[in-house]
Amino acid sequence: MTQQTWDEVGGLLPHDEFRAASEAIVANIEQVIEGKTATVRLALAVLLAEGHLLIEDVPGVGKTKLAKALARSIDCSVRRIQFTPDLLPSDVTGVSVYNQETHDFEFRPGAVFANLVVGDEINRASPKTQSALLECMEERQVTVDGVTYQLQTPFMVIATQNPIEMEGTYPLPEAQRDRFTARIAMGYPDAGAELAMLDGHGAADPLNGLRPVSDAATVRRLIGHVRQVHVADAVKQYAVDLVTATREANDLRLGASPRATLQLLRTARAVAALEGRDYVLPDDLQALAVPVLAHRIIPTADAQLARRTTDAIVAELVHRLPLPHDRKRSPYDTRPAPNNGRGPYEPRRP
Amino acid sequence: MTPTRNLGFVAAAATLLAAAPLSAIFERWTWLIQAAIAVVVVAGAAALSRLARFPLWGQVLAMLTGLLLGLTWIFPGGTELLAFVPTPGTFAHFRDLMGASLQDMRTYGVKVPDVDSLLFLTVLGIGGVAVVVDVLAVGLRRPALAGLPMLAIYSVPVAVYVDSVPATPFVVGACGYLWLLVTDNVDRVRRFGRRFTGEGRDVDVWEASPLAAAGRRLAVVGVALAVALPLAVPGMTGGLMEAVGNGTGDGNGRPGQGGSPGRIDLFAALSGQLNQSEVAEMVKVSTNEPTPFYLRFGVADELRPDGFRVRVPTGRSVNRGLPDPTERTGRAVDQRRYRATVEVKNLNMPLLPVYAEPVKTEDLNNSWLYDPNLQILFSNRENSRGKRYAFDYVRSTYSPALLRGTPSLPADDPVLRQQTVTPAVRAVDRLVAQLVKGKQNDYDKVRAIYDYFSVENGFTYSLSTRGGTSGDDITDFLATKAGFCQQYAAAMAWLVRAAGIPARVAFGFTNGSNSDGGTYVLTNRNLHAWTEVYFGGVGWVPFDATPAASVAGAVRSAWAPDTDAPEESTPLPGSTAAPSGADPSAGANDPDRLDKDADQGLSVGGGDAAQQNPVWPWWLAGVLVLLVLLALPALRRSALRRRRRVRAVAPAASAVATVPGPRGAVRDLTVGVDPERARADAHAAWDELLDTLVDYHVRVDRTETPRATAERLVRETLVEDAGAVTGIRLLGRAEERARYARDPLTGEPLHPALGSVRGALAARADRRTRIMAALLPPSVLLRWRTAVTDRSMGLVATSGRVRDRLLRWNPRRLLAGRVAR
Repeated sequence: MTQQTWDEVGGLLPHDEFRAASEAIVANIEQVIEGKTATVRLALAVLLAEGHLLIEDVPGVGKTKLAKALARSIDCSVRRIQFTPDLLPSDVTGVSVYNQETHDFEFRPGAVFANLVVGDEINRASPKTQSALLECMEERQVTVDGVTYQLQTPFMVIATQNPIEMEGTYPLPEAQRDRFTARIAMGYPDAGAELAMLDGHGAADPLNGLRPVSDAATVRRLIGHVRQVHVADAVKQYAVDLVTATREANDLRLGASPRATLQLLRTARAVAALEGRDYVLPDDLQALAVPVLAHRIIPTADAQLARRTTDAIVAELVHRLPLPHDRKRSPYDTRPAPNNGRGPYEPRRP
Repeated sequence: MTPTRNLGFVAAAATLLAAAPLSAIFERWTWLIQAAIAVVVVAGAAALSRLARFPLWGQVLAMLTGLLLGLTWIFPGGTELLAFVPTPGTFAHFRDLMGASLQDMRTYGVKVPDVDSLLFLTVLGIGGVAVVVDVLAVGLRRPALAGLPMLAIYSVPVAVYVDSVPATPFVVGACGYLWLLVTDNVDRVRRFGRRFTGEGRDVDVWEASPLAAAGRRLAVVGVALAVALPLAVPGMTGGLMEAVGNGTGDGNGRPGQGGSPGRIDLFAALSGQLNQSEVAEMVKVSTNEPTPFYLRFGVADELRPDGFRVRVPTGRSVNRGLPDPTERTGRAVDQRRYRATVEVKNLNMPLLPVYAEPVKTEDLNNSWLYDPNLQILFSNRENSRGKRYAFDYVRSTYSPALLRGTPSLPADDPVLRQQTVTPAVRAVDRLVAQLVKGKQNDYDKVRAIYDYFSVENGFTYSLSTRGGTSGDDITDFLATKAGFCQQYAAAMAWLVRAAGIPARVAFGFTNGSNSDGGTYVLTNRNLHAWTEVYFGGVGWVPFDATPAASVAGAVRSAWAPDTDAPEESTPLPGSTAAPSGADPSAGANDPDRLDKDADQGLSVGGGDAAQQNPVWPWWLAGVLVLLVLLALPALRRSALRRRRRVRAVAPAASAVATVPGPRGAVRDLTVGVDPERARADAHAAWDELLDTLVDYHVRVDRTETPRATAERLVRETLVEDAGAVTGIRLLGRAEERARYARDPLTGEPLHPALGSVRGALAARADRRTRIMAALLPPSVLLRWRTAVTDRSMGLVATSGRVRDRLLRWNPRRLLAGRVAR
């Protein structure tokens, strides 16, 4: 199957068309997940930002349901992998088998050859298996026996996992976590939503009645639109500042990667587009900082001892970081004037 | 031993440096050589005695002996053995010198010549101080105490010059003292062990230790303060001149007694006294002369570009006999001897008023001296107040013919050379050339100048003119032709000097308006100044150019008749307009009126009132300046707001359609606005909003986006006001679009939104905040403070860099490798 290039997909869609398409997906998912609009929109935003989503929460809050609802709302190839401790990498990527008729090895694609891959309980598989996802998530290709196979667009991995405090799990390696664009928590539904859930889920699983409201081509067009959202220089600077702040923070042993910067800005574009804007605001970055950055960083031992979560650390950084000004220095800017990186009382060394 | 010996020599050097202020007393530097010899002898004796491990008393004895030998050698009495071993005759000689020095101290004014007696006293004093300093600094190791004897040296010029002593010698002395302290401390630390450099605390080994550097800085600041602080205190610099010039003093001399009469600004004293509203009785004089000329006490004969100055007088004690003028003139000058008694009441000066020229005085002690050149009685230590004395004097009268017959002075005559020095002022020179044109002899030239100052030529008497006798003042006076005795006297003296004839300004009293036979009671209103002109072979001849009609008790002479006399007989047209209605011809004879009404005494010239500008008090100007300064922030704020308002208002150039907005309000809908312009407008509106927030003490958070700021304000501050809520959201949106979007928000009128937000904030703020926002807007103050901080930090950084660069050539650093630590 040949794919359109992004030029062929086209740039900005008319505002109404984008809105109709995106709102349809959100509304469809919300038939299943009640009272979680923000989470649902974020999940969609990650899809439109060509990212991968990690849903992390305690069991039974609807992680898998959200993943499946998103997959079913879009008419495209969907595969599901149930990660178990005995799952093998070849189960994920595919394997070459000997075809006796052709007397040749033949590639049997694995579960990742789909538009949407739902990886359930990803931290129950061994790190060996988890690592099978590394190449396909970042490079959108699979290499088996020296042969590289391209994956289709859209390609999105939606993984769920229990928090690592739970038993019987293998925590995701750093490199793996960094490949997930955003980590979201479902959170418990509020009282009203839970009550509505009892009514809706009592008789039959509403997931079964879910019909696709979109298809891969539409999603590609939506992605094409998101790619064209305007990002001002000041906003780019702010994104860089944010990520740099995580690298310089005292509480963090490991800051966010350049990939994080890239994905932060991509997701911000998608969020802005979903909100009907054709430009990104620093507000978008502020809202996305915790979902996009928090799962990539490692706090210091002291911060861990103080029971400071990475979410809290990132939130505080966002709160402290001043906005970059694309204009002259603000009078209310109390930072010292730039001094060639040298303080007035810096020790002198001949 | 080496450090101790070193300290001893530093103590000696410090003593010599501390003696530097004495340079203000002596005319020449002989004293320094002799004092240096004495100090070196003392220091050498101390070093030798320490080398021989004498106890402290032995060292003192050695030093005193050394000093004695040194004094004997420097001031030989003629009976010494081997030129420096004293004999009883030497001590007798010393006693004589001491006695003579007491006498000379009274006789000489500063600066004193090299007199043996005074030099002896000086060398003895400095030698003594050297002994004490050595004992304190080296023997007792209390160098701080050594400052006291050094201060004693400094107190000598301070006592002599009451007003001020030059600062440079003080700094030299202070440096000597600090040197002593530093040496002592370095020695102390060296004994303790190794110098503490502060190594390892960002201080290199070659750098001075922070402690030492701080000490040095403190010392420099201390000396600088000691010099600068007195300059800032009014009354410390030229306290006398200022006190007198303001006319606020009760007398017109220095307070207290003693000191030199050379520093008095007699002009300032004169105008100050004449302008005083109160009439104070100053001098009472009785004489047997029928109509005496003016009582005289001071002379200003040094002409500099800034005016006539009083010279330091020199002379001999009055009791040593006064020169006889009859010997000097020797020609057909009519000279008669009279006697006068003076009772000084309220005159407070180191000068005594006498009639020229006194030949014999009574009841005056030796501290009163007579300067034969200036012909004044002065004292360096006493004061005229309350003095009562009598004197004989010779009155010379000259006939015009006699004066006309005197020859012009030869070009090398000292009086001519000294007393015709005149700064070139073109207007004056031109006038003089015009006046003396065609005049053959000195007297005719002087008369031409004298006659020029007449009512006919438009000269009037006015006390309200500005004082001063500088070139500019004289030019002004010649242009306005209104002034009082000070200007007349100085102007005439200046013109006469410009004509090449010696002239000077004399000060004294007119005969006043209160006389009883031969007794005249003179008040501050009778203070006067006139001109004296020198004629070869005759001497100083007085000329009073001030209009006689305006001066109570004015006296005119045959050689200097009243230039306005013809006018006096026939009333001038303007005189009828005189407010008092008095007959101007009676001016001179109407002393009461003149005494009370000196300013209006002569209104014949007219135009007097127009020239009297209202005198605004200084404090009013100060208050105005203060108000302007206080208003500056508010003005700056409103200017800023106006500029931004121009920005935030939709441009008129674009097409504007007016459509009815919600609630009947009219909204301007702007189409096709330039995006750059719209962006700038939004920024201006947002800046204005931030400033307004600061003004009304609403938090401004730099981490907030415009949208977040707007929402916070909606949430916290502007809850009730629907218009303001819409406005702030609009402003937030506009700024956000201007900053981050492809296309800025256009067509929205931002200024009304700003107005509604500002109104809501003002309504919410308390009264104090509102007043402060209007008068001293915190936003402007904060802006300025930030600017100042930035500048100063930049300055600190720059100076740090410069310092770094300079330190590369620091000798300590260059030698660091060689110094054994």
